[in-house]
Amino acid sequence: MRGIFPFAAGAAIMLVAGWAGFPRAIYKSRPQPVDFSHKVHADKAGQKCEDCHAFRPDGTFAGIPTLDKCAGCHAAAMGSTVAEKNFVEQYVTPAREPHWAVYARQPENVFFSHIAHVKRAKLSCESCHGDHGTSDHLRPYQQDRVSGYSRNIWQTAERVKSTRAAMTMSACVECHRQQGLENSCLDCHK
Amino acid sequence: MTSTRRDLFKFAGGAAVGALFTPAPWRLVTDTALWSETWPGVPRPARGEIRARYTNCSLCPAGCAVRARCVGEQPVALMGVLEHPFTHGALCPFGLAGHHLPYHPARIRQNPVKQAAAAISDGLARCGAGERVAVLDLRPGRTASWTYRRSLAEWKNGTYLKPPQALGGNLAVNLAAAKTVLSFGAPLLDGWGTPGNVIAAREGFRLIQAETVESRTAVMADQWLPIRPGSEAALARAIANVLADQPLHDAALETGLTDAQIVAAARELADNGPALVLDARDRPEILALNQLVGALGHTIVTRREAPVPAEWKMAVAATELQAVPDGSVRVLLIDESAPGPYLPWSAIEKKLVADNPVVVAFAWSGEGYGRHAQFVVPTAVYPEWVDDIPPAVDSPAAMFRLSAALLPPPADVVNPAEFVAGLARISATNALRERADAIHKAGRGTLFTYADGKSTAVKDVKADDFWKALQEGGCWMDAVPERTEIPKLALGPPAADPVVNNFPLAVVMAEASAPGSPILSKLYQESNLRLAGDRVVLHPAVASECRVEDGGRAILETGCGRLEVRVLVDAGAPQGVVQLAAGPRTLDLCGSSPRAKVVRV
Repeated sequence: MRGIFPFAAGAAIMLVAGWAGFPRAIYKSRPQPVDFSHKVHADKAGQKCEDCHAFRPDGTFAGIPTLDKCAGCHAAAMGSTVAEKNFVEQYVTPAREPHWAVYARQPENVFFSHIAHVKRAKLSCESCHGDHGTSDHLRPYQQDRVSGYSRNIWQTAERVKSTRAAMTMSACVECHRQQGLENSCLDCHK
Repeated sequence: MTSTRRDLFKFAGGAAVGALFTPAPWRLVTDTALWSETWPGVPRPARGEIRARYTNCSLCPAGCAVRARCVGEQPVALMGVLEHPFTHGALCPFGLAGHHLPYHPARIRQNPVKQAAAAISDGLARCGAGERVAVLDLRPGRTASWTYRRSLAEWKNGTYLKPPQALGGNLAVNLAAAKTVLSFGAPLLDGWGTPGNVIAAREGFRLIQAETVESRTAVMADQWLPIRPGSEAALARAIANVLADQPLHDAALETGLTDAQIVAAARELADNGPALVLDARDRPEILALNQLVGALGHTIVTRREAPVPAEWKMAVAATELQAVPDGSVRVLLIDESAPGPYLPWSAIEKKLVADNPVVVAFAWSGEGYGRHAQFVVPTAVYPEWVDDIPPAVDSPAAMFRLSAALLPPPADVVNPAEFVAGLARISATNALRERADAIHKAGRGTLFTYADGKSTAVKDVKADDFWKALQEGGCWMDAVPERTEIPKLALGPPAADPVVNNFPLAVVMAEASAPGSPILSKLYQESNLRLAGDRVVLHPAVASECRVEDGGRAILETGCGRLEVRVLVDAGAPQGVVQLAAGPRTLDLCGSSPRAKVVRV
């Protein structure tokens, strides 16, 4: 019986480390520069997604708005929250662009066209981004230490809780098949 | 309680077994694979503000208009220009991935330009009476072609060589005027001419494809005539006999078609005109059918060349390789920087002098003539440099468009035309601008600008603006003259029938491919949508006779040599045939001897 103890101890330690420690250790995490509330902007200011995440005149997607856009309303604090006060003091007043981390950023070898999906296929933002537009706080950005991918590309845990699709190639292909759309490699891999 | 070394090993063993039941090793395998997609050395697209730039694709003679999505100076995606009146927004997979080519692993890195220049100078000094200095230009009609011709005029026995070309040059095909097209293996719907123009004209003509294999064009044609391998000329003769009310003799036996099929095809050409006959290899006995069906002046038209400065016309004439005496070329410079039809090396080699000829290839990869040349001088690759693209075979009007550079070329590449001009001591650095000025001075035709999709008469544009528009993505299209002369087909003698000897299989060439991005390996190596250069296709019965298996290695042997290949067995392939892609290696092997055998390794 004593002879099996080291083997069992090794296996047990590795099982705990592999299931409990590894999933945390594989990601490095960093907070977003500003504790931004989508909920406040949607509810109190009545803004829609496209008010800030707009398309440029040439059809390209502008993504996260730059400081100019934010400063249009927040040249001075409009409310009384600490987050807004910090934002104005640390970024708007010194005209310093916040370095946002994009949860949904695709890898370098993938090209994704927002306008084809939003304007032509008429997909809602929630189809891919879930309830992000109603969140009250920004969660930390988690990046895989080996692949460099954002955790939200896979978002396995979140998918169980919501109907949000993953942003992997297989998810894209699956959706296109359901819609009866043809794909070629060069549609996404430019 | 003390721990022994055995306990330590047990602990490690338990940890290893335990790890297998966690997500860690499997996740690390996936992550490492993902990391390898962007590890150091793999080019990454830039992030930042996006802007559109325009150019023309120079990977093949079609010269499709291109809108490049650029971040800073880096193109990150290419697409067609929908408003273009001739290319209609089409861009093939090779063109879509053209911006990958500057990063291609097959790019030549070493530059032996000094040694090459010394060898050429030595060759010129040794050039005896009756010996020649020649430039082989794979894409004639460019401004660079005129530079070669002007340079060669400075040398004794300077010879400008171009690939044989029955259609193209000053003869063009007007597909829009055709009602019936009979194609002898020409890949009309698979990259022939200008794909966008062919697709636009497709509704207007009925296509009969006479071909041994059921190619992609045959699949999409209105009618496929599955003829015996090598019987194209026999079918052309039979159709000519029907048109002249002559008996068919044993045409059915030769071609594998029925007499009724041959008669119906001939009647279709005669009754549903204007008709057009095309051939994959421009064989004279086939193209001569165009005279019989009245294609000349209707579907085959004379095309004016884009104007050139008057002083350039003191240049040597273009010569086809077969017109050059054997053993007469002392110095041969081959410009492969603009891809064009590949001539088998055996046809070139016999034109070289026996003692120490100098052969220099200008290319961005060593896959073509670089395998035979003493020196391969690296050139820029699309989209790194500015070059003009002559009109494709299906453009009835002359065109002048630039493949404008989207990326700066590496420091150590050579512009072949300027290199040759330097050797001949003539100036060619402003040749493109001089030609643009000559076109502007002629004052005919229109300028189409890609950014705004507008056409403007050239006479309404200033010379500087014309040049600027061409550099920023624009295309000059000549006016079609009200009256054109009836063209004459310059047809050579019919090719001799191949000797069967010990080679039981007829070689059928699949379409030649443009130089492609490594990403297109999906097309070649994984899906076999197109044949890679090292693949051959055999019918199962033929594969069984040759004792080769699907996916197995074999030797393809012809009268010109041997090549190791991988076999694909396909029940759709005809018997008695080996099908392979028309690449430099296979054309060297089979271009002049279209019979082969396949031997198990």
